[in-house]
Formats: sequence, C-alpha cells, structure tokens
Amino acid sequence: MTPDHAKPTTGAEVDCKAALESLFEFLDGELDGSLEERLKAHVHECRPCFERADFERRFLAAVQAARTEERCPKALRERVLSTLRAEGLGA
Amino acid sequence: MMTDAPGADTRPTAPPEFSAAAIAAMDDVYRFARSLTRDPSDAEDVVQDAYLRAFRSWHTFQPGTDIRRWLFTIARNVFLRSRERGQREVTLDDEQSAVADAAQAQEAWVRGGLDPILDRTDLGPAISAALAQLPESFRAVVVLVDLEDQPYEAAAEVLGIPVGTVRSRLFRGRKLLQHSLAQHARDAGLLPARPSGSPA
Ligand SMILES: [Zn+2]
Repeated sequence: MTPDHAKPTTGAEVDCKAALESLFEFLDGELDGSLEERLKAHVHECRPCFERADFERRFLAAVQAARTEERCPKALRERVLSTLRAEGLGA
Repeated sequence: MMTDAPGADTRPTAPPEFSAAAIAAMDDVYRFARSLTRDPSDAEDVVQDAYLRAFRSWHTFQPGTDIRRWLFTIARNVFLRSRERGQREVTLDDEQSAVADAAQAQEAWVRGGLDPILDRTDLGPAISAALAQLPESFRAVVVLVDLEDQPYEAAAEVLGIPVGTVRSRLFRGRKLLQHSLAQHARDAGLLPARPSGSPA
C-alpha cells in the first residue's frame, strides 16, 4: 500500500515539495515505513516544513477536539432503542 | 447505556453484544449521518433505519473488526437508498474545489489567521459550524477521517470511492475548513488586536 504520487525514488531524500505533498498522509500515519522515516527526517531538519507540519498537526487536533460538539439527540437515541427493543433487543 | 444485556438470550436477532458495542457508537453514526445529509431530520431517519438494519443483519458483522466502520457502511447504504427516492446525488462541486485550491494558494494568509487561535479551547463551535458548511462530498471524508479516526482505506470503503479520491477530498476539505475558520476568526475578532505579545 504505497501512495502512487509524489513518491520520491526509494532511498532518496525527501525535498520540501515532496514533503508538503505527503504531509497529511504523514500526519495521518498513512505512509509506508520507509517514506515515513524519510519524511520525518526532512521535517525535523527543515524549519519551514517543521512549522507547516506543526500547524497542520495542531489544526487536526483542534478538529478532532470539536468531535464532541455534536452528539446524537437524546430523543433519537430513545427512539432507536425502543425500535430495537420491539425487535427483541434486551427482551 | 445498556448495562443489563441478557446473557441467556441466544436468538440471532438479539445478540447481547449489540447493545454494548453498536449502541455506544450512536454518537459517531449520528455525526456521520449529519455529514451525509444537511437536514437534521433526514440524518435522524438514516440513523434510525441504519440501526434497524444493523440489528437485523448482526450476523454479517465480523467480530474483531471495527464496528463503527460496519455501521458507517450501513448508514451510507441507507442514505443512498433514501436518495434514490429523492434527488440525484449532487456532483462534486468544481467551484468548491477551486475555492479549496485558492485556500491552498492563500496558505500564508490562512495560517497567519489560524495560528494564534488553534489552541483555544472554545474553538469547537466555530469548527463545527465550518464543518457543517463544507460541501457534502468533502464533509463526509473529513468527518470519517478527522473526527472518527478512520483510516483512508476504511473511508474509501464506507463511501464507495477510491483511496486516491479520499486523499484529494481530504486535502481540499481540510483547506476549505481552514479557510472558513480563518475568515471566521477575523470576522469574529478572535485574533488579537496586537500583532505580537500573545500569551504562550
Ligand atoms: Zn522542507
């Protein structure tokens, strides 16, 4: 499962362009081991890429934290449960 | 919470595990349903119908796999079926893709606007509102991956699209979200009046 784009030649160092193109996949843990290692090495050595990665990481964390903003309404939960009970749930 | 699942009930349609695992995921399924349909009551119908189908086809769930992924897939199928009765699927918005690309082009502006506020704990409502305004094709992917923590491959399967499409929609969806949040931050005066001296 390797991404079929922006993939530097195996063993090659990752440059800024390649790093930015694969940044989200890197942060999402979607890169394969070798590319992930090379990207990590670049991000740690390159200040602009490091800052960009840091920004995107904080952005993704903020989005993840907003997850609790929206919950299943209580009335809907009750309705689903009563439907399922009629079907035999917990009967 | 169902804490009193009957251990003696062996009927295939009423598995005791259903109450624990599937019902605990109802917030997640609801959020996903909301990402598929703008209308809250349509989303509620999707959740209701999806749970009924899930309950009746519990035997198709493979133990040990992510139950949310299974439920998301059922919800998506329910949604598609309800849509066949209504309007056709809205085609992916070229206009929005252009906005996303523009947002990427305005990277410095967006980052400059968002950077000072990203760590605020009261940003949740603004993010939620911005998310609700995303075009649905982007929103579903962002919700699955960013809120529900699904791998790209799972999001692709749930939505019936290639992984490459997940990747590009995710990128654009996130950039759109950033753009709209940066806009919001400036409009709402969330940005500090002074350019420097923000608390660490
Ligand atoms: Zn770099």
